[in-house]
Amino acid sequence: MDARIFLKQLRMGLILYMRVPAAIFWIIAFPLLMLLVLGTVFGSGGDLGVRLVWEHPGPQSEVDTMLLAALKERGALVELESPDAAEARWTGGKLPVMLLTQDGHYTLRVNSYLAGQAQPIEAMVQEGFLIAQAHERGLTGLARIPVVMSSPGGHHEAPYAAFLLPGLLGLNVLMMGVFSTGIVDVTLRAKGGYKRLATTPLPRYVYLGAQLTVRLIVLLFSAALLMLVGAVVFGSHNQGSYASLLFVEMLGAACFISLGYLLASFAQTPEVYSGIANLTFLPLMLLSGVYFSLEGAPAWLQRAADLLPLSPLLRVMRAIFNDGAALASQWTGVVLIAAWTLVLFVLATRRFKWV
Amino acid sequence: MRIEIESPAIEASGLYKRFRDVEAVRGLDLQIARGEVFGLLGPNGAGKTTTLEMLEGLVKPDSGQIRVLGMDWHRQGREIRTCIGVQFQSTELDDKVRVREALEIFGSYYPKARSPAELLRLLHLEDKAEAYQRRLSGGQRQRLTLGLALVNDPQLVFLDEPTTGLDPQARQGLWDLVRQLKAEGRTVLLTTHYMEEAEVLCDRVGIMDRGRILQLGTPRELIAALDRPSLAELEFLGVAPDVAPFAARLGVPVEVKDNCWAVPLRDANKDLQAVLSCIEALNLPMQQLHVRRASLEDVFLHLTGRSLRD
Repeated sequence: MDARIFLKQLRMGLILYMRVPAAIFWIIAFPLLMLLVLGTVFGSGGDLGVRLVWEHPGPQSEVDTMLLAALKERGALVELESPDAAEARWTGGKLPVMLLTQDGHYTLRVNSYLAGQAQPIEAMVQEGFLIAQAHERGLTGLARIPVVMSSPGGHHEAPYAAFLLPGLLGLNVLMMGVFSTGIVDVTLRAKGGYKRLATTPLPRYVYLGAQLTVRLIVLLFSAALLMLVGAVVFGSHNQGSYASLLFVEMLGAACFISLGYLLASFAQTPEVYSGIANLTFLPLMLLSGVYFSLEGAPAWLQRAADLLPLSPLLRVMRAIFNDGAALASQWTGVVLIAAWTLVLFVLATRRFKWV
Repeated sequence: MRIEIESPAIEASGLYKRFRDVEAVRGLDLQIARGEVFGLLGPNGAGKTTTLEMLEGLVKPDSGQIRVLGMDWHRQGREIRTCIGVQFQSTELDDKVRVREALEIFGSYYPKARSPAELLRLLHLEDKAEAYQRRLSGGQRQRLTLGLALVNDPQLVFLDEPTTGLDPQARQGLWDLVRQLKAEGRTVLLTTHYMEEAEVLCDRVGIMDRGRILQLGTPRELIAALDRPSLAELEFLGVAPDVAPFAARLGVPVEVKDNCWAVPLRDANKDLQAVLSCIEALNLPMQQLHVRRASLEDVFLHLTGRSLRD
């Protein structure tokens, strides 16, 4: 009897979930979009990474020729422009770096807004210039330090997308809990939906169980899609066991869905809730290294962020997905998430109200 | 399931409920017979909804006894829920659920349920079966939530202000449905703040104010019990003159509404003469005069000293 109600409720829940475009977008499309856009922009190395505009009618001196050859050898795309055209492009504001030639002297203009992007280009130009000078002075047989590309765990050499993908898996779990679960809870309570259910003989655990299962199914679907796109587009594959990944994803889901219900218990209306949810979501997302490693942040901030539930989730997911780590080796992270889950679950259960 | 046929649909005694510093219900006794349509009347904040929610098992009374269809909420909650139907004031449904789906899913909560097709026919919602709940008009949505309350073929139906916010035509449609419920032998407990609704629909009404039932009876009994069971209504063109001299001369309280005075009459024949002579004496520019039977509205005014819509 209860199993039959559960299945009907589950089916209805999935249908209703799929009818809300915002839910589909944030939980399914958004992570895919992030992976494709960020993975492409930050991921690929040489081909469209370095573009240098050189204000120059064409190589004239021997050093010019040497420099151009050295830059091309390193994979830079060099565009030679007349002074006027170069100036127009520079004032356009999109160039991080422009190389100028005047009376046999070089000047490198660096866009102060884009100093970060400019750095590798500048280094490349400086290197090319050193090589050109060395050639001019007859120095031959110069060697470079050999480079070995590899992920930190040494299991593959997939690009940035491989770092990003487990981050997005974790972010997805957070968004599912804080937005997709909490907002539905608040709305339903505000409308009197829970109250109405409480007047029927429907056992409450059946209802909540179905709601939870709907969310887990959507999460798994979204994760599978994300991994498929990651594999096809960026060649990043799960190096660890799918069972471990599933376990961590479910643990994370338990943690953040509890968080969603807990936050929802503090709001009477969906409007108030979205404020509370954003206040929780944004710091968690920004401090936990979803998109980039937080190596540059102050140490105290990093330590604090390490204690929040999202950081260990991402750490464990990355260890499994990228380095094939065994779950047991990640026990500190797993224990930390489990502890958060326990606390949030207990608080959420205590504060949960039907009527 | 064991149902004692002799037991009343609802038996409540000594109900008391306090929310923080508000005493919502203060000692309420109520008995509703099977097959009866009973109306709880009163203004907003009278305690009608809290009373209903205690009877529906949603709110636990601080003290008092409740038996629903002869059963006890503590021990037979699930059995009671199987036999009752509840309609709230709020929408309570997901925006994107279709009418037929809502009926189906609510039906699945009960061991036995009426088919969506049957309910759609009953509610005149056949052509809206595949519409999203959000897209329904107020009257259609009210019929849908009533349909959800009837999905388990309940013996006892609770309707909380079923016609609030509806236009007259939609209200009439809902009244027909309630009459049909009575004809099918169901017990109906409804709340309303429309007195005419209570007069038209209810076998008995309880007039509630400030957490208590002030008076119980059939609408006719309650009106007959007034010491001034009819009223003279004087209508003026434009703004009515100052009522004080008239009321003082006549010696009865006069209710003023817009450009109209309502004068309660103890004895229609004799008192009407007095009213007419007062009008003549004060030379009042009256436009129309008519005499009507008192309504439940007047009963409420008499009992509480306040108008219902205040």
